Amino acid sequence: MKNKSFWSAIAIASMLSASPAAFAADAGLNDLQIAHIAYTAGQIDIGYAEIALKKTHDKDVRAFADTMLRDHAKVNDAALALLKKLNVAPEDNATSQSLETAAAAKRAELSALKGAAFDKAYVANEVAYHQLVNTTLDQTLIPETKNAELKALLTSALGIFTEHERHAETLEAEVK
Amino acid sequence: MQTANASRPGSARRLLLAFLFLTACSAPSVAGAEDHVVEIANMAFSPAEIDVKVGDTVTFVNRDLVPHTATASGGEWDSGSIGAGDEWSVTIDKAGETDYVCTFHPAMTGVVRSD
Ligand SMILES: [Cu+2]
Repeated sequence: MKNKSFWSAIAIASMLSASPAAFAADAGLNDLQIAHIAYTAGQIDIGYAEIALKKTHDKDVRAFADTMLRDHAKVNDAALALLKKLNVAPEDNATSQSLETAAAAKRAELSALKGAAFDKAYVANEVAYHQLVNTTLDQTLIPETKNAELKALLTSALGIFTEHERHAETLEAEVK
Repeated sequence: MQTANASRPGSARRLLLAFLFLTACSAPSVAGAEDHVVEIANMAFSPAEIDVKVGDTVTFVNRDLVPHTATASGGEWDSGSIGAGDEWSVTIDKAGETDYVCTFHPAMTGVVRSD
């Protein structure tokens, strides 16, 4: 992509604002760790969507959360199917764990909110979280992936999640 | 699945007229109606804009991992969810320009123009 320091700045800004996870910049990941990180990142967004579907009264926020649930589940199903075909298991690692730790804190924060305050916080987090995940996929995970099929799957996933990021940004302007 | 209104009186005459018209224009299709394919891939409709004749069919083929819809903005037609690898067809029965969108992914838009 265009400018490496620009993207690093976004990644750092996202980490500071939304998810204080030490995500990316973790050179030397193997494919099974990369698969685990990508799968975990998807499950985390499904978790946020489940909270949103319980709390929101806004039809556009609800439709967005429905799409997050639907799409991340499909991408993760495809990842599991590929791992099964390759007869390998994803490998837990420090990056996945710190992602999950940060997500648990964010889930607690979101669960304490309601109404318009919830919608605003959920959507802002979706923008920041997709920025972080997408930058990490683009800059770290995809370039480091060795297996061609996993690389192709992650590349397709990045295309889907990039649309999610734009969708979240559009929504953010609405719920302000 | 939306299909041509084949049982409606007058549609046979319309088909015949379309046939004669297209034959006069030396169109290749025997039935006088063509099937146009719009691929859904990499989170986009391709081609995003198509020109068709009234009576033609447009088939949306989903090549992505995730479900999409093709939903006319004015409510004229709506595929509902098209799963990965699935397709859905609509026969265009009116002249004009129809904007459509994927209701799951609002950034995905397209246009069908018919005359
Ligand atoms: Cu779509």
